[in-house]
Formats: sequence, structure tokens, C-alpha cells
Amino acid sequence: MLEPFQLPFVQRGLIEVAILAVPAGLLGTWIVLRGLAFFSHAVGTAAFPGLVLADGLGFAAPLGAFGAAALFSAGTALLSRREEEGRDAAVAIVLVGCLAAGTILASDVFGSGANVETLLFGSLLLVDDGDIALAAVAAGATVLASLLLGHRWLATGFDPGSAEALGTGARGLEIVLLGLIAFAIVAALSTIGALLVAALFVVPALTVRLFVERMRTWQLASIALVAVEGAVGLWLSVKTDAPPGATIAVVSGAVFALAAMARSLSAPRRPALAAVALAAAALLLAGCAGGSGDEDGQLDVVATTTQVGDFVREVGGGAVAVDQILQPNTDPHEYEPRPSDVVATAEAELVFTSGDELDEWIGEVVSDSGSEAEVVDLGAAVPERLPGERSGEEASTYDPHWWHDPRNAEAAVREIERSLVAADPAHRGVFERRAAAYLTRLRTLDAGIGRCMESVPAARRKLVTDHGAFGYFAGRYGIDVVGAVIPSQATQAQPSAKDLSALAGLVEREGVEAVFPESSLSSKVAEAIAAQTGTTAEYTLYGDTLGPEGSDGATYLQMEAANADAMLRGFTGGRRGCRIGS
Amino acid sequence: MLEPLQEPFMQRALAEVVLIGVAGGALGCWVVFYGLSYAAESLAHSLFPGLVLAAIAGAPLLLGATPAVVVAALAIALGARVVGVSREAAVAVVVTTMFGLGVLLALSPQSPPGVEALLFGDPFGVTDADLAAAAALAALVLLSLGLLHGRLLVVGFDRGAARALGVSPALADAALLVLLAAATVVAVQGLGNLLVVAVFVGPAAAARQLADRMLPTMLIATLVAVLAGVAGLYLSYSAGTAGGASVALAIVAVYLLSLPLGRWFAAHRSATPSAEATIA
Repeated sequence: MLEPFQLPFVQRGLIEVAILAVPAGLLGTWIVLRGLAFFSHAVGTAAFPGLVLADGLGFAAPLGAFGAAALFSAGTALLSRREEEGRDAAVAIVLVGCLAAGTILASDVFGSGANVETLLFGSLLLVDDGDIALAAVAAGATVLASLLLGHRWLATGFDPGSAEALGTGARGLEIVLLGLIAFAIVAALSTIGALLVAALFVVPALTVRLFVERMRTWQLASIALVAVEGAVGLWLSVKTDAPPGATIAVVSGAVFALAAMARSLSAPRRPALAAVALAAAALLLAGCAGGSGDEDGQLDVVATTTQVGDFVREVGGGAVAVDQILQPNTDPHEYEPRPSDVVATAEAELVFTSGDELDEWIGEVVSDSGSEAEVVDLGAAVPERLPGERSGEEASTYDPHWWHDPRNAEAAVREIERSLVAADPAHRGVFERRAAAYLTRLRTLDAGIGRCMESVPAARRKLVTDHGAFGYFAGRYGIDVVGAVIPSQATQAQPSAKDLSALAGLVEREGVEAVFPESSLSSKVAEAIAAQTGTTAEYTLYGDTLGPEGSDGATYLQMEAANADAMLRGFTGGRRGCRIGS
Repeated sequence: MLEPLQEPFMQRALAEVVLIGVAGGALGCWVVFYGLSYAAESLAHSLFPGLVLAAIAGAPLLLGATPAVVVAALAIALGARVVGVSREAAVAVVVTTMFGLGVLLALSPQSPPGVEALLFGDPFGVTDADLAAAAALAALVLLSLGLLHGRLLVVGFDRGAARALGVSPALADAALLVLLAAATVVAVQGLGNLLVVAVFVGPAAAARQLADRMLPTMLIATLVAVLAGVAGLYLSYSAGTAGGASVALAIVAVYLLSLPLGRWFAAHRSATPSAEATIA
């Protein structure tokens, strides 16, 4: 029953959520009382431009987040004074300003922003000492401010007009409250993520409000409910192997729904109902607990991306148990680890990464899970390197999509073989035999794609893609990269009309035949460019991730062959494809 | 000046921005008046579980998105009826829960990556279908607001009096939220998530600084939405800045401009009668 709590990283998550319960519960009552739910949701999201700046200029991400949150709070306080209908619209407008500024920074100033999303999608499973310290500071500040200013907040809450007349300095009080909420929420960002902040800071306090009216009782009960819902959510998430943030959000929503139903059905107030509702919700959700059993005698290995996982499985075969963290259906930019990933990392002897900021988050998973695994960066082992785009930090010195050159894949496979043999010398024979067989297939693939491409005149091998993921492929097979629709790797980046107009002109001048969308991105802009220039956008490419099982890009070999086939069809106006006999 | 108009992708972007601006400007005034800015910002997140379910079932994404957002809108209207729960707080509960549900559903291996990104559009990726949907939306919004105008006004000013007059505040809330939900589904496909909240709140908030009565406010808001949209697209064309973000910034700029203008108007208006009084 309680075995999830024996895992060290779950214990740390439990400590974190217990500490966060203090600011979340206390501030939650003020958020509900003063109608600050939108502000508290927006302040986490508004950290975005700060994170882009921090990533681009290379300073600490939390600094950027706190700075942006402070600006957001000040802007909201300033504008809501003038806005007669209160804070609501002001919050929305300041938020729009922040997000637009962040998007322009990510699209037009800094070319890269792969680290930005990691903080906006935090996880309770990856809590380090810094996170706990930050939560403790937030808790201390909240308790102190509530003791000192609580009665005055209460006064302004009930009647801002008369409170101001009495000279309580309503503006100053308001700014302190907004600033405190902003600080506590940014402190919690790295553990719960921006979109689910309300699950801790709003919903529990609102639930308690249904049954309790006295301020002190409400505050204490809210703190308790946050802690209980957090613990239950964490436990459920380990039991069902789901991300804890989303689990806590659903638990707190379900508890609220049951509590609201109980409250409107029965007139007498029974606080016990809340407890009953909570238990019912927990049981409701505990339905599908799943267990995973590894076969014994296998080497435990973690691979981050889909193509790295494919390489490791090819070399390791049955002698290796591979836990591949990203699945074909996960967006690497919105990654939140599942409990089983953290457990697998904690127990693994080897962790294979793709490197170059594509999977930087794995460092946090390794250190916070207490893993002693050796981390093998395959990106650092490959021979062919292309420079990154406009880069900020050293981490983006190289274009991270190295696997699209099969020679790099060969080097990665050799590195995997070396590492596996070193970790498990007993299976040396298996690894060497399998690696040799796979290397042969890689060379067949490379030669096959080469032949296909050579069958098209060099002048017609002109590539326009969604974003610049195919530099290595183009370099290997003499393809001319004319341009890309999306200006950078960051998910929030948007194209500008000027760039698109230039791209359309280029496509027409260069006689490009096709624009290639990527399988995991919206293809609408690529289609618009294709329609305007009379080219086609019907051939999609696999860029960052393999396709799901059963698709024509389920393995690395299939993915590259499918890409070559799509490109050849695009180059030849659909007359010819590329078939690689294997 | 007219050079950008020769680019077909700019023509579509401009048409979309104008159509959504007409719908967003008018509807936005009620959104701001009813304190539903949070709902305007967040309803798009509640699409998530519907999108995932549709993707798993292999159905068109719209088939999942529309019921999900309508369910969210009705849940918000229902939640706000519980004693002690404001509309704002109801939005927080409903959207957070639905988004969490979406994350959990997306764990299913059949769910494609970044399913939200597959639905969310960009002003420069507008299709004929998007334009048709935006035109239908503009017509639906204007028609519904015309029919509901009196009722929305009564409820917005005095809920108690509305009940006495036989107008149900709950129904007015629900109608407004469902309209907003429909607008969200259409607008995220045409313009993307950032611009939804920008178009549905910014112009209306600016217009409220400049006018008191509802109809002139709606007129100004529509004008602001359309002009800021066109200005933003031109900015993106000439300065090379991100398209959607440029439109959003143009709207924010108009709002900031409206603040001193509004104060000046207010001072002017209150000064006029007193000046007449001294003459008399």
C-alpha cells in the first residue's frame, strides 16, 4: 500500500509538496477571497519571456522567471488601478504582452529555446535541494506576511473603498500580496509546471471554502487539503505510472466536484463530507495500478530519445532491458517524466543520451533520482558535426539532429557497443555480433539513399522544410537546403510575414518542387507556402522522433528510408520514389 | 503599402484577422463586462482531452475539440452557481482539471505528439476552411449578440433585477460562455492560442476606456480589433517580426494608448456640463 513512498525521489516529492502546502494553502485562501485565480494562473505562464532571455543570454533560469513575474505583477497592479472592472482584463492584457514579447524574443532575437519548456513543465519527481529550499523560503515569507498583514488584507478584501479611506495603504498591501503570490508560484514552477499551478494554489482552498467560513479554520484546512491531495496524487501517480502534476490536478478537480455536489445536496455543513469525497476520489482513480517486471539477468539501460532507444535495442538484443524515456507520441518539448522512468534511471547502469540540448533534462533525472549510472553522450561521439543555429550557450554549439547522417549513426552504434561491452563483458559476443549486423544494414541504407539521390540531378535536390532538422541529411547526400518555414527550434517560435515572403520568392526563383512538413508539427504554414508557390506539401518527413509502431517510420532504418523516399518523390514531382532493398 | 497584398498568404491572414476581429471585438465587450477574461484565455487549454480522444479514435480533431470546449464552458457556468464559487474560480477548477485529464489521456500510445500544436494555427497558415469558419463565426456572434443584447445587458447590470424581470442570469452566463467556446475553437485554428485572448480582451478593454454605453463600445472594440490586426500583420511584413506576436503587441499598444485618451475624454465630458452651467 505505502511502498511508493519508500522510493527516495518520491519521498523528496512528498517533502516538497508538504512544504509547498503552506504557501499554497495560505495564499489560496487570499486568492479565492480576492478573486486572484486568473492572476495566479497567468503569473506562471508570464515567466516565459524571462526564461527565453535567461536561455539566450545564459543566466540562471529561475532569475529570469522571477524577474518576469515581478514585472508582470507590477504591470498588473499598475493597470488594474485604472481598470474599473477590476483586475481581470488587466491581467489578460499584461499576459498577452509578456507572451508576445517572449515569442518575438524566441523567434527573432534568439534562434534557440530548447531549455525554456523544461521549467514550464516541472515535475514533483525531480526535486532537488534547491527546490526544497526555495519552497521553504516561500513558506516562511507567506506565514510571516500573513501574520503581519493578514488582518489588513482582510479589511481591504471586504471593502477596498473604506479601507483606503481609513488609510491602510491599500495599494501597498495589494502589491505585497501580488508579489508574494508571484514569488510562491514561481518557486513552485519547477515542481508542478505552469499550467497546473491552480491545482495547488486555487482548487483546494476553493474546496474548503464550501464548508468553512472562519478565516483561520479555512487557512489551516486548506493547507491540510493541499498536503493530502498532493500526497494522494503522488501515490496514485506512482501506482498508475502517470505524471504527478496532471494526477494531482485531476484529483483536486474530482474532490472539488464531489464536494460541490455534496454541498449543494445537503444543507447542513459537514466538514467530514470533504474527507469522504476525498477518499472516494482517491478510490475512483486508483483503478488501474500497473506493475512492471524486468527479466533478471539483463543489463538495465536507459535511452532518452526514440532513435537512441532503437540503436540500443538493435545492439543489445535480449541481453539488455531498455527503458526508452521519450515515446513516439511524446513531444520532447513537453516532457514530464513518469515514475517508471525515474525508477528505471535510478536502477540503470548506463544512460544513453542524444546530447546537445535535445535531452538536457536527463541530467536532472539522473541526479535527482540518485542514480549512479554512467551517462553516455552519443552526440559527442559522432564524427560529423554541423554548427548550431544562432546559439546562445555552449550547449547549442552543434545542430542536435546528428542521426540524420547514417555515418553518425554508425559511430553512435559503435559507441553503444563499446559501452555495453564495458558494462557487461559476459555478453561481449552478443553485442559484437549484433552491432556488426546492424552496421551492415546502416551501410546498406547509406548507400541506398546515396544511389537514390544521385539519380536526381543536383540542381533539383532543393529542400524546404518546416524547421531546420535536416542539415546532416542534406550535407550527406548533396542536397541544397533552400530554407525553413519556422525560424528556430523553440516550439513557441512563429514565422514572420517578411521571412515567409522571402522564402516564397526563393522557392519560386530556385525552382523548388516541394515543401516538406514534419510529421509531428502543424503543417498549415508549409501548406500555405506550397499553395502560394504552386509546389506540393504532401510529403512529410520524420524529424525529431520516430513514428509510432506500425507506421513507415517506426525504426531508424525505416525512418531514414521513408524520408529519402518522400524527398525523392518531392524532387521529381511524384514520379519516382526511393526503395532500399534490405 | 499595397505590396503585401499581392502575397496570397498575406491576403488570407488579413481576411482572417478582420473576420475574427469583428467577432472578437463585439463578443469581447461582453467577455470583459462579465469578467470572463480568464475563460477567454484558458478555454483553449480545455480542448486538450477532446483532441487526444479524437486523435486516438482516428476522428477529425474538430470532432473532439468542439464537445470538449462546450463541456468546459457549461461546467464553468454550472460551477459558478455553487455558493462561494466565483466565475473566475470556476474557470480555474474546470480548466486545470480538463488539462490534467488531457495530459493523462495523452499517455496512451495511440496519441500523436503535440496534438495541440496540430490544431492550433498561425495567421500565415490560414486555409479556406478556416476563413469559411471565421465568416460563419462572425455571423453567428453578431446574430446571437443582437438577439441576446437586452438580456445580457440586464443580467450584466443587476442579476437580482434580471431575475425579477424573468431573465435567467444562469442562462445568460451559459449562452455567453458557449459563444466564447465556439469562438475559441474557430480562432485557435485560424490564429493560434496567443491571439485568442489578445483579440477577445484587448480591444474591448481599450474601447471601455473610450465609451460608456454598450453599442458604441462594441463598435469601437471591433474597429480596434480590425485595425490592430492589420497593423500587426504589416509590422510583421516590414520589420520581420513573428506574425501572431506582432498582432498581439499591436493590440496591447492600442490598449496602453487608450488609457490616457480615456482619462482625457472623461475629464472633457465631465467638464462640459459644468461649463454650460456657468454660462447659464
